[in-house]
Amino acid sequence: MAVLSDPDRLSILKRFAEQLSALRVVFNLSKPDLQAAVNAIDAWADSNQAAFNTAIPLPARTALTTKQKLQILYYVLSRRYEVEP
Amino acid sequence: MTGDTLVVFTPLAATFPTSNYATPDLRNNHPVLDFDGATDEEAYFEGVLPAHYNGGSLVIDLYVALTSATTGSFRFQTDVERMNDGGPDLDADSFSGSFQSAGGSASATSGIPTKISITHTTAQIDSLAANEPFRLKVRRDADGTSGTDDIATDAELVRIVVREA
Repeated sequence: MAVLSDPDRLSILKRFAEQLSALRVVFNLSKPDLQAAVNAIDAWADSNQAAFNTAIPLPARTALTTKQKLQILYYVLSRRYEVEP
Repeated sequence: MTGDTLVVFTPLAATFPTSNYATPDLRNNHPVLDFDGATDEEAYFEGVLPAHYNGGSLVIDLYVALTSATTGSFRFQTDVERMNDGGPDLDADSFSGSFQSAGGSASATSGIPTKISITHTTAQIDSLAANEPFRLKVRRDADGTSGTDDIATDAELVRIVVREA
């Protein structure tokens, strides 16, 4: 999978900013700087796909589809986000 | 005459386009309209220019707070639709097309509103006259077409004061 499209990356910025706005959390990173962070994180995810796949032990590595691996990654990151103080 | 307050709108007077509209919200029980930081959003306000309007330029003061930002710049635009006798068909928008713009800076305390003033000449309001109905369109220029808007989070419109320049 390639990096996300610009509209997809913008939608992440928008979703993040909407949640901050809803909570009225003080946040002063500018739009260009926030977008650069989103883009860099997406690029990092893209360039580390092979390492991510290699980290999954066999037989799961071959049994799981790419979508299923991403689903597990999503759940792991979501839980890590929830338990992060 | 110069300086006269002509019309005042609160967020509760807003009407909305079918998409990309500002969102009604409350801030400490103050009605506000939330304008997104990443997408241009709009709201409309319907009014009548009062009899004491003397034919000058209009100044539209927007009182805007920020949900989260205490630094940075934001940008708003306004346009006016004259709705005179025999005027535009309500079935289609007929704004003047002369979006005027102004920017403001975030207050160091996010809940303290900043006033930005946008001036429209009579030509830019389609020669809207005293006692005539009109519609005001307010847009946050979140994508910075007319100037810098680098605040990612919401801007909250608190009040609109229309006065004669």
